[in-house]
Amino acid sequence: MASQQHDKDFYIKKVNSRKLGGSIEFTTIRLAKQVNFVVSILFLLNCYDLFEKKFSLLSAIGFCVMFAEYLVTAFVSSKIVKDVTGEDNSLSSSTRKLGYLLIPFMFLGNILMTISGFMIVKKGKTIEYQLSIYSFISTFSIIAVSCINLFKPYVSDTFFLGMGLYGAYTLINLATIVMAGKYTSAKKPDKKFLAFAVLGILGIALGNLFSFLMGIIAIRKYTNKNEDINIEWIDVVKRLFKNYMSVIGMLVVTFLISVSIASTLTFDYSIAIDNNYSALLLPPCLEYPFGTDEFGRCVFTRIVFGARISLLVGLVATIIPIIIGGLLGAVAGYYGGKKDNVIMRVLDVLYAVPGILLAIAIIAAFGANTLNLIIALSIGNIPSYARTVRATVMGISGQEFVEAAKACGAKNGTIILKHIIPNSLAPVIVRATMGIGGAVLSTSSLSFLGIGVEPHIPEWGNILKAGSAYLETNPYIAIFPGLAIITIVLAFNYFGDGLRDSLDPKLK
Amino acid sequence: MNRAKLVKTFEKMCKKPIYRFLLYIFGIFTLIPAYLCHRKSKSNDRYSAIRQQVLEEFKTRKVQDALFEEALSQIKKKNSYFKKDISDDELKKQANKICEKNFQLMLNDETQKRAEQENISSVTFFMTLSRMLENKAFFLLSVLLSFPMYLLILIYENPYAKYIVERLFMMVFVLFGVTWLVFTILYISPMDPAMNILGQEATQEQIANFRMIHGLDEPYIVQLFHTFKKLITFDLGTSYLGNEMVSATLSSKFPVTLQVAFWSVLVSVSIAIPAGIISAMKPYSSFDYIFMFIALIGLSIPNFWLGLILILEFSIKAQWLPATYQVGNWLTMIMPAIVLGTGMSASVARMTRSSMLEVKNSDYILTARAKGLAERKVVLKHILGNAMIPIITVIGMQFGGMLGGSAVTEKTFNINGIGSFIVERQFIPDVPVVLAGVVYVAVIISIANLVVDIMYAFIDPRIKSKMKNY
Repeated sequence: MASQQHDKDFYIKKVNSRKLGGSIEFTTIRLAKQVNFVVSILFLLNCYDLFEKKFSLLSAIGFCVMFAEYLVTAFVSSKIVKDVTGEDNSLSSSTRKLGYLLIPFMFLGNILMTISGFMIVKKGKTIEYQLSIYSFISTFSIIAVSCINLFKPYVSDTFFLGMGLYGAYTLINLATIVMAGKYTSAKKPDKKFLAFAVLGILGIALGNLFSFLMGIIAIRKYTNKNEDINIEWIDVVKRLFKNYMSVIGMLVVTFLISVSIASTLTFDYSIAIDNNYSALLLPPCLEYPFGTDEFGRCVFTRIVFGARISLLVGLVATIIPIIIGGLLGAVAGYYGGKKDNVIMRVLDVLYAVPGILLAIAIIAAFGANTLNLIIALSIGNIPSYARTVRATVMGISGQEFVEAAKACGAKNGTIILKHIIPNSLAPVIVRATMGIGGAVLSTSSLSFLGIGVEPHIPEWGNILKAGSAYLETNPYIAIFPGLAIITIVLAFNYFGDGLRDSLDPKLK
Repeated sequence: MNRAKLVKTFEKMCKKPIYRFLLYIFGIFTLIPAYLCHRKSKSNDRYSAIRQQVLEEFKTRKVQDALFEEALSQIKKKNSYFKKDISDDELKKQANKICEKNFQLMLNDETQKRAEQENISSVTFFMTLSRMLENKAFFLLSVLLSFPMYLLILIYENPYAKYIVERLFMMVFVLFGVTWLVFTILYISPMDPAMNILGQEATQEQIANFRMIHGLDEPYIVQLFHTFKKLITFDLGTSYLGNEMVSATLSSKFPVTLQVAFWSVLVSVSIAIPAGIISAMKPYSSFDYIFMFIALIGLSIPNFWLGLILILEFSIKAQWLPATYQVGNWLTMIMPAIVLGTGMSASVARMTRSSMLEVKNSDYILTARAKGLAERKVVLKHILGNAMIPIITVIGMQFGGMLGGSAVTEKTFNINGIGSFIVERQFIPDVPVVLAGVVYVAVIISIANLVVDIMYAFIDPRIKSKMKNY
């Protein structure tokens, strides 16, 4: 009897955990809850400095706020668990109303709670609705970060123009969320939504990947002739958005891209590079959130402008080796035999030297600047991409559809371009997403050694190098750029993980 | 020594072009007398006589013409079916080719048939060689004269030795490639080491003198040749700055790098393997999520930043550990080992988890459980044992990379290792040091990969049996 009871409990537990795992409301609130808890604990630990025996009031306030937020999320979360595991498996309308309570927390900076709130409020969530939420969050975060500039003695000339632009776009995003909730469905979106889709596509100019994706999906769905046929890449996006962590990764990446674009308008480059002898080595305060460095430059502004260079180097140093290595790998894998042997033996030479050392040798020869850095990192990455592509292509070129194309008389070039490359893209995309993170790490490492980006350019590695000299007295100069590097690399890694899962054909 | 087996291996090796070439070169003093002997015996051989006879017969029967006609008509039919137009010349050429091939086949068949009737077989070169080696005096002489050939044959007989030697052979090519690459990059560099070392106020004569001493005034090909010569003689040259022997300096920095690499691997393995096992045994549990989150953070943390934070906390604030490296103080090794170890353990833990998850649901694991083995034994011996290959690969590659010096971490903790040495000297650029450093690292990494590949054979019996048939 006891064992039967045990079996039944075990079964119910499994069913419940599956139900909860499938509920996007639960996964979003759970992450918000966990993060709130961890951050509040961190604040608590920070309240009292063991070595210097000091009590920090700021941390105490932080702890109180975060813990209150934790209690709210814990309450909502418990309601959702009760509803989802209950009789009718869906949220009751009273629980859905609780979502409105969570949305305003974005003004306290807790965007995880806001996302969760939007998810709870709406019942049937289309992919367009979800994308609009993330698009809104990313634009809103830009405004929030830019607002910190208001504490500065002066702002850039284009600050209010930029704020106006982003403010307007936030309102559009908000309207899009409402409209997406009303007019989109799993199949064709309503004609009234098309205007918002076009506005969303225009959002790419502001670096907003989410609104761009949303617009493209809505229009592609609208022009889809046969409603019963699913569009494959939209399914991939849908699968991607079931993995909440990878969406958060994508959100961070989008935010950084947008910030790099927005900073041209709302941030003042002179604060990041001009010396200011009246504000040397200041600790963090409202005017300088991350303090100032030994030349009186605002570390926060430098980090914001550093995102641009890190993303640029990361992206370019990934795209160049993909193109070169991908072509070499495709040729080697498709033709095999002598061509394969020659190409792979030549690449073996490059592969024998670790990427960072090859980069050091190239930079030693041609001097340290951004262009040489990109070239050096690209060359070092070629062999690994070539190997990835070669392995995939070898698998594909043995398959029936390639044979069929050959039997139809297709030329080798056509087969490679039309059949082989599109089918071998998935592993390359995943590898590239992770590769960008690696390239960002390499860039900052080389800058730290003094052989990367030129020292006057605000790059994260450069800031850290400067900060390492003041570790004893002003540790924050070194801490914050490191956190920025971790965030961006972590975001790309999570995004890549999610992409791999959603592109994996086994799950289809 | 079994001479018959030797000749058999020799025959096998002759089927591969590279080995054949090497055998002919190495064994020239043995093979030429053997070949002459073979020619002599072949000329008064019954088998060749039969062959000649058959050839005469075929000629009188005009077999060749008949074959040619047949081939021609076949090709014509084929082209008319595919509606292709081919010139007469081309037609004849193709027909001739087919005809020639068929004729040789027929000739050989017929000769073989008749020879069998008379109970004789053709004398091959290998048979002659084997007969000659039976003679003890000749054998001893031949071993004396062409011992490299015998060495090669012996290596070929042992699959492990053959594998290792082939890999080392490939490595030599890679090394020359690496040397060429790095040398060329540094050669076309616009930087001038003479200017950097002698300073701005150096006279023209001083610069010219410097260039002459280091051979920088010679053309590209000559310099490259000198570099290759140095590589072959293991002489890495002297550095521009300080005029020290590069090989001596590198070997004096090696122990520190080795020590750091060893402790880091130890730290990483002792963290990563247990974490990976727990994650794989309870996938999608809280343990799993927390471990894998930490592992992902470990992958994303820049080494130098972690190093700085550790220095800040443990050296500056708590003052427990020294911030910079001191020789002979084992406490200094803790922080570098932890920094390098965490970065490494992240990828090892992820690899352990994924490869154990793959093995976990195999049938043989079910069998092991069905036998009633203790869970501990199933997990450690059967699952982990079978999942070991990719884990070993990752560890081996990382260890190799670390022996090459982790410049960034060495710089952070002020360790005087190989990585930081290369970085210091690249600013000049001190060509011999950078070149030697990169070549050294390439050698180390290639050897590490080779060792890992050989270790597979000891861990996995499947690979061992494959190796035996290599």
